[in-house]
Amino acid sequence: MKQLKTRQVCFFLIAFLPITKFFSLPSIIASHANEDLWISALLCLVLDFITLIPIVIACRNANKNFFELLEDCLGRAGAKIVAVFYLIFFFVKTILPINEQKDYIEFTLYTLKPTVIYFLPLFLLAFYICFKKLRVFGRLSDIFWMVTLNGFIALIALSIPNADFSAVLPIGARGFSNVIKGSFRAFNWFNDCVFIMFFIGNFDYDKKAGLKIFLSFALGAVMVVVFMITFYAIFSSIAFRQRFALTEMSKYTTVISNLGRFDYIGIFMILFSNVFALCLPFYFSSKLLKYIFNINRLWVAPTITVLSQLFIVLFLYEFSVTFERVITNYFSFYFILLGNILPIILSIIFIRRTKYAIKKG
Amino acid sequence: MRLKRAKAMMISVLLLFTFFFSNDFGLIDVEKTSIVTAIAIDYENQKYLVTAQVAVPEATDTNTENQKAQLSGKGNTVGEAIKDLGDLSGWFPKLAFCNLIILGNGLKDQNVVRILDYFAKTLRLQDSALVALADKNAKEILSLSTPLDNISSFAIQKILFKASGFDNDVARTDIKTFCAGYYSPNSSGFMPIIKVISADSGSGNEGEKADNSSSSSSQKNQTSQGSNSDSNNLFDARTTALFKDGKMVGELSPDLTVAFNAINTSIAGTSLAVKNVPYNDQECNYLLTVLNDKNSIKVKATENDVEVNISLSLFCKVSDVDATDSGQSLSANLPLSKPLIEKTKTMLVNNITQLINTSVQTGCDFLKIKEKLYRFNYSKYSLYKDNFLSKLKVKIDADVRGQR
Amino acid sequence: MKLSKNLDENFSLLKKALVSDDITFLDLEIAKSKGVLVFINDLVNKDTLGELVLRPANSFKGKLSEKTFFSAFLSPEKKKILNLGELISDLLLGNAILIVDGISFGLSFGLKHFEKRAITEPPTSTVIKGPREGFVESLSVNVSMMRRKLKSTNLIFENLTIGEYSATTVSVCYIKGIASKKLVEKVKEQIKKIKIDAVLDSSYISKFLNQHRFSLFKQIGNTEKPDILAGKILEGRVAIFVDGSPIALTVPYLLIEDFQSASDYYNSSYSATVSRYIRVISVALALFLPALFVSAELFHLQLIPLSFLMTIVNSIKGIPLSPSYEMFFTLLIFEILNEASVRMPKYVGMVVSIVGGLVLGETAVNAGIISAPTLMIVALSGICLYTVPELEQTFSILRIVFLLIAGTLGIYGLMIAVALLVVYLTSFESYGSPLCAPFSPLIIEDNKDGLYKGFIQEFEFRPKSLNNKNKRRIKKGEL
Repeated sequence: MKQLKTRQVCFFLIAFLPITKFFSLPSIIASHANEDLWISALLCLVLDFITLIPIVIACRNANKNFFELLEDCLGRAGAKIVAVFYLIFFFVKTILPINEQKDYIEFTLYTLKPTVIYFLPLFLLAFYICFKKLRVFGRLSDIFWMVTLNGFIALIALSIPNADFSAVLPIGARGFSNVIKGSFRAFNWFNDCVFIMFFIGNFDYDKKAGLKIFLSFALGAVMVVVFMITFYAIFSSIAFRQRFALTEMSKYTTVISNLGRFDYIGIFMILFSNVFALCLPFYFSSKLLKYIFNINRLWVAPTITVLSQLFIVLFLYEFSVTFERVITNYFSFYFILLGNILPIILSIIFIRRTKYAIKKG
Repeated sequence: MRLKRAKAMMISVLLLFTFFFSNDFGLIDVEKTSIVTAIAIDYENQKYLVTAQVAVPEATDTNTENQKAQLSGKGNTVGEAIKDLGDLSGWFPKLAFCNLIILGNGLKDQNVVRILDYFAKTLRLQDSALVALADKNAKEILSLSTPLDNISSFAIQKILFKASGFDNDVARTDIKTFCAGYYSPNSSGFMPIIKVISADSGSGNEGEKADNSSSSSSQKNQTSQGSNSDSNNLFDARTTALFKDGKMVGELSPDLTVAFNAINTSIAGTSLAVKNVPYNDQECNYLLTVLNDKNSIKVKATENDVEVNISLSLFCKVSDVDATDSGQSLSANLPLSKPLIEKTKTMLVNNITQLINTSVQTGCDFLKIKEKLYRFNYSKYSLYKDNFLSKLKVKIDADVRGQR
Repeated sequence: MKLSKNLDENFSLLKKALVSDDITFLDLEIAKSKGVLVFINDLVNKDTLGELVLRPANSFKGKLSEKTFFSAFLSPEKKKILNLGELISDLLLGNAILIVDGISFGLSFGLKHFEKRAITEPPTSTVIKGPREGFVESLSVNVSMMRRKLKSTNLIFENLTIGEYSATTVSVCYIKGIASKKLVEKVKEQIKKIKIDAVLDSSYISKFLNQHRFSLFKQIGNTEKPDILAGKILEGRVAIFVDGSPIALTVPYLLIEDFQSASDYYNSSYSATVSRYIRVISVALALFLPALFVSAELFHLQLIPLSFLMTIVNSIKGIPLSPSYEMFFTLLIFEILNEASVRMPKYVGMVVSIVGGLVLGETAVNAGIISAPTLMIVALSGICLYTVPELEQTFSILRIVFLLIAGTLGIYGLMIAVALLVVYLTSFESYGSPLCAPFSPLIIEDNKDGLYKGFIQEFEFRPKSLNNKNKRRIKKGEL
């Protein structure tokens, strides 16, 4: 029996993929694309969707997992080289969301600036998850798609009364270059289809699984676009300054409430799901590390993965702005290459390989 | 392996207990925290004077009211003044509950966004806090006692934030909206002006009863328990200050404020006084209550001018009339007489026309015409972005209806 | 060791092995052959022994052979024993043993008789509507209660004897054709592996059946009620009875089981659903309320509404302890009171409740040692936990752990702790069934008795969360 079900892959796309875009990303895109921020986000999502199509097709008949298929197609050495690229990809992809999470917690959740100890348990969770089988993400998706969806609905419902949706007009006024710039800076937060690529051969491909997965991705994409539009509809000209969109959006409705900031219930739901979403790159980094260096000891790969990120948080935190600048400016090409182009190429190779294998019987 | 796991578990539990009992990882002492409910900002001697009203919980079995204290700090920036306030009091000013920022009258000539930006940018304070301009020193306003509440800022908030369905005669704004307006194409904004009136003299007569003990506002870092002996002060916020590029450029009278709310938000629940309406060979005064308000401001740029179509449709009922022989019960939702409808329409059209004139005169685009030009007529935006106020062609369509 | 035909030889061996004073060796004569009747004084019904063994022995006429010896006695529960070891263990079970000179086997008579507790309603699972009988310590009574519930030939009891000294009968009960064979075999295998000196209660067995020894969580279900057990084995579970224990064990165990009460199935679906949600909310309150309150007070004042914050500040003024210590020690006192009231005799327990609840609580608040909100939260949390009594022990430990984490790291630390717990629970399996089913993995069909309590007509199939056979419960067309 395979580790995941199609249902769980669909829920995975809803539970963990949209929420990583709800923190600092809207303000980062808004600083370039202003009211066209949603177009920038949509472009990234369309690119991801295009990437998803061959991946899902590759999943259809796959009886081997990603690493086995890679070895079949590229040989062991080739597979390891690709794995090294993806290890770097995941390593870099983790840096900004982790720093973003740290800042978010520090500035919005705690009254005083707490010591870094409060943030360390996240690494403990990542470490623990690295020991688990892929099945755990399926099981978590089964629960957290509801958590994410409810949190999202709560936040948007509380935000809408204060939103002026005409703020996103005129569409395209900021020019194509600014929209593209917005997308370009956002690639670190997208490229989520890579995760699905690692699911190849690990889930039962149901009847109409492809359609279900595409619809789930579309739902996630709608969530992202709606969030971006609502965000801009609330903050309009000062949207680029709202670094922590998640906490900011819904408070205007609750300001006079006797219940206080009850919108925090929705915020915590999103935050809770995001905790697991943050662990995803850790998990795959650990698996890649194990594969590349043939590590047999169970704890070695998770330890290296977690400690490397912990090192950045603990000792290189003062460079976080530099990291953001460098990653969003110079690593975007790397993200497109590894997050979109290579998955498409690999999926096509996998599809042909599988067809060939089926033909040969 | 199992032994190792047991050991690891033991160590974790021990560590947890150690951390718990020796903890100080950024926790706050509630008793050292001052819960700031409002902030008053004045500009004195080239420095910002920030006065924070702090809620002091002193409820007993017999008295559930809380007391207030006021702290002041000075600095070259607002942030510095707040820091000064905390440094000298030993309290950590907790701004998350601050729902009101009052700007002193002395600030109206400078760019107030320089001050408000601090609050908009910091995460320590909610930028959903209401902003208002004082007609005098802001600190004085905050120091006054009022019969409405033990804590004056709460009383002011009651005036600014009336329950929905109640009179909407205050053009309220918050930090976020004000700053967003400033950074938008129209770079305009508005906020209510808080005036102090004596409870004895009633509306319209400004009281001059600022508390003497607290009026020595230049004194730095004073802490005073705010139980004022003179508690006959009420607040009026029906006048609106208009801002262009962060500086105050004009005012809207209470009537114009209602007209502004009528076309900008909704005045459902608000009462309108209509004077001198012909009724059976006499003239009488009416009080209408607006039950429903439908409004829109549409901007359309043509080759020659900027057409602004303001449409307002109010569904009203008569709440009071001073005619002696009307003979009808006011509890029923009566049809409005034709003269009353006409009179009300005229009043509304006049007020809206005055609003437009004020906007043109002051340059404050509080009706967000430029923003609408940008959003809905982008192709013509560059043509009118600098001179749209002089190219306005306004059409007002006011409709007043009652029960038919 | 095989029995010989020589009585003296057998007798001396028995005498050597059975030196306890409560064992009676009664000499008798059957058709001029010498014999010895051995039994444990207080375990055998002597009237029946006289009627069914001694009288027939006395009145036996004719020639005694191995054939006539067996048929000479009227006892319906008799068996031949060829082996000395078996003879002794049968004796220790409470049977009477008869050996006769010239016969190469012994006879064992099932004449056990000992005092049993009456069948009463179990205190841990009382119901307003529904059956009130509960299991007792006697295995045979428990088996008979199950037989009365399920009159099917497919109801199987397989007995095993565990315990070097206790020789306790452990009975594995399941329904053939519904329970998975693999599961039954696995359970039996696990039980057979147990090498222990004595099994004094079913909890001994449950510890050995646990697949994760260090886990804080329950891995084996248990019940004291035959109706619940019948329901559980009808779903495909395997039950384990232990002689001397009124608690039957069930595997596999799902976490949702403890949120399902017996009364849910006897009341209307609507009220059962509401009660189930109340239980879930109560457990959440019990677990998280103290932790959330402390973390909000210590780290996140902005989460508390202003008016409530004022009340809190008012109440904690002058309290010598920090909010986290205050909550910790109040919880500790609560646990002490709880422990004392459970252990104490009932009439003293009342005093403890009054002293602890009223005097201690109110005096502590008045003296300014603890604040009223803290006391209220601990009380509420304490009461809430008892809505799911089966998980009380686990959750009261978790409550303390969460409090320690919240007091140290604030709400984010608490969130991560809960996340760790969720990962742990979702990857946890009990005999092949996921502990968190039917929520994770999501089994929509099973949520008719999970997320809500559906109508009985909706339970068309047995739970898919359990590895069972014969899935259909209600015949097609019967709905």
